[in-house]
Amino acid sequence: MGKKVLVVDDDPDVRLFSQAVLEENGFTPVMAKNGEEGEEMIRKDPPELIILDVLMPRESGIRLYRNIKTNKKFKNIPIVILSGIAEKSFLRSQKVLTEFGGDPVPDPEAYLEKPVDGEELADTIKKILG
Amino acid sequence: MPTKLLLIDDEQTSTSLLALSLKSDGYEVLTADNGRQGLEIFDREGPDIVITDIRMPGMDGIEVLQKIKERPHYAEVIIVTGHGDIDNAIDSLKYGASDFINKPVRADTLSVALKRAQNKLDIQRKLDDYTKNLEQEVETVTHELRMQSKFMEKLIKTSEEGIVATDRIFTVVIYNPAAEHILGYPAEEVLYRKKAKDLFSLDLMRQYQAKRHDDQRRKKLEHFETHVRNRDGEMVPVRFTGVFLYEKGRIMGSVAFLQDLTEIKRLEKEVLMSERLATVGQTVAGMAHGVKNILHGFKGGSYLMEVGFKNNDTEKLKSGWQMIQKNIAHTSDLVMDLLTYSKDRDVAYVPCDPNDIAAEVCEAFADSASEHNIRVRATLDPAIGSVAMDKTSIHTVLMNLVSNAIDACIFDDVPGKSYAVTVNTHLKKDHVIRFEVADNGTGMDKKVQDKMFTSFFSTKGHKGTGLGLLVTRKLIEDHGGSIAVFSEAGKGTTFIIELPFEELIKEAHT
Repeated sequence: MGKKVLVVDDDPDVRLFSQAVLEENGFTPVMAKNGEEGEEMIRKDPPELIILDVLMPRESGIRLYRNIKTNKKFKNIPIVILSGIAEKSFLRSQKVLTEFGGDPVPDPEAYLEKPVDGEELADTIKKILG
Repeated sequence: MPTKLLLIDDEQTSTSLLALSLKSDGYEVLTADNGRQGLEIFDREGPDIVITDIRMPGMDGIEVLQKIKERPHYAEVIIVTGHGDIDNAIDSLKYGASDFINKPVRADTLSVALKRAQNKLDIQRKLDDYTKNLEQEVETVTHELRMQSKFMEKLIKTSEEGIVATDRIFTVVIYNPAAEHILGYPAEEVLYRKKAKDLFSLDLMRQYQAKRHDDQRRKKLEHFETHVRNRDGEMVPVRFTGVFLYEKGRIMGSVAFLQDLTEIKRLEKEVLMSERLATVGQTVAGMAHGVKNILHGFKGGSYLMEVGFKNNDTEKLKSGWQMIQKNIAHTSDLVMDLLTYSKDRDVAYVPCDPNDIAAEVCEAFADSASEHNIRVRATLDPAIGSVAMDKTSIHTVLMNLVSNAIDACIFDDVPGKSYAVTVNTHLKKDHVIRFEVADNGTGMDKKVQDKMFTSFFSTKGHKGTGLGLLVTRKLIEDHGGSIAVFSEAGKGTTFIIELPFEELIKEAHT
């Protein structure tokens, strides 16, 4: 069994794509279709890596990212953001949230802006997980 | 100024005596001893009263009288006659003498005659003055009238508004250059040759005439925007005001004012177009997100297919192919929406049955909706038959709204709740059909309702183009209709669309 990777995305096609990439490269994918569901799964059985979308109905990726990165138990799980939102916009949103009285959060381990090739996604994950 | 007398008599002795006596009475006296000389002095001196003997060698007194009366200078003439000369005396009165006295001339008789002549003279002078004043007044008034009419004429000629006025039988009698410009007919083709109905459409005339009764009270039509057909057959947008002119309750004519709206309409269109382009521009940023997702979908689809081919995995091939197809559809939706929204499209009225369109749309969604346990049904007003409307627009509008309604139900996803989407049609008065698209899905809160008609706003995440309602509203507005929405979060949403239609023109069978 390969390392467990959690994919959080509301778009079933994106999940399917990431799932295929992960399977092809020897990882064990698990799926969540929104932030709420993702957080629950992380708490139950933390994965080795999270692939996270930013814009989702019911708890966005922005919130989930902060919750994970400020949680002592989970903050070391690497997160790869995979989103149509530009990296700049995501980082700005985190900066604003920090200014509004939140704990500072580190930048994500990798940021991939859609569209992304399967190979690129696989390489990124492999690089992080060694 | 003393009264000037002229005495004409061939008998010098009586003349000089008389002259002396008259001078002492305060008259200015001139004398002549024959008719010819008398007339010479008359012409030169212009006396007020002439006293002439009737019997004189050469020109006699009657002739002198006649000649004096032909002259422009007015004078009273007293004729002096001999005894038994009564016939001549009466003749002299006929020729306009003021009096006659007998010879020998007695002072008292003469004084009476002179007084009478003086009176006549005064009256005549007053009459002259009066006539002269009257003539002057008439001239002044005439001048003023002419000025006024010139003023009115100029006013009408230079008016920016087209003015077409008719007499009581609707023959055009006033037709100014602005009207010429709008309607295209030169004035010489219209004035006294055309009737109002030759220039304005039957429809417009009907409106004109329908208001006629009311006009007797109000005497005025409100202006309204309409079109007139010019000489080349083009429809010119105008603001039209029609007034019937009454005098003592009888119609004396009509006047129509036309304001050319071509330029205003063009500007309005330009503003609308630039707003639309601006919206499209604005939305390119919003669109980028949608496009990125689509491209990612294509990459995902092709990745799945590659894996499928490599591993001979038909399941992967199938889902990859589906993903590509879905994104092709999505691309096409986005591009078509953008085109519809940014392009100026003429409304194409074609014969169609709105009920059929509604039923067709429901039918098209029934299967996919039932997979999510959503019922789609149509309640159709049987009073609606075949009419002329833009079929394609209605189809697109209903497709968009029904698809939204189904999404609202899918998105709500409360276990055990039974979802339904209904399309109702209803024939309203004044050639309007109302379509209602209702769902009991997730509904919209105030924030979403405020934003729903803005570009690239979507609550559907990866599914929406963010243009659907924008396109829907544009199609409805192009069709002269309206769209309203009633929604409550958690309860559902109802869209109400009202669209005007035209009757089908029944073609006569020959």
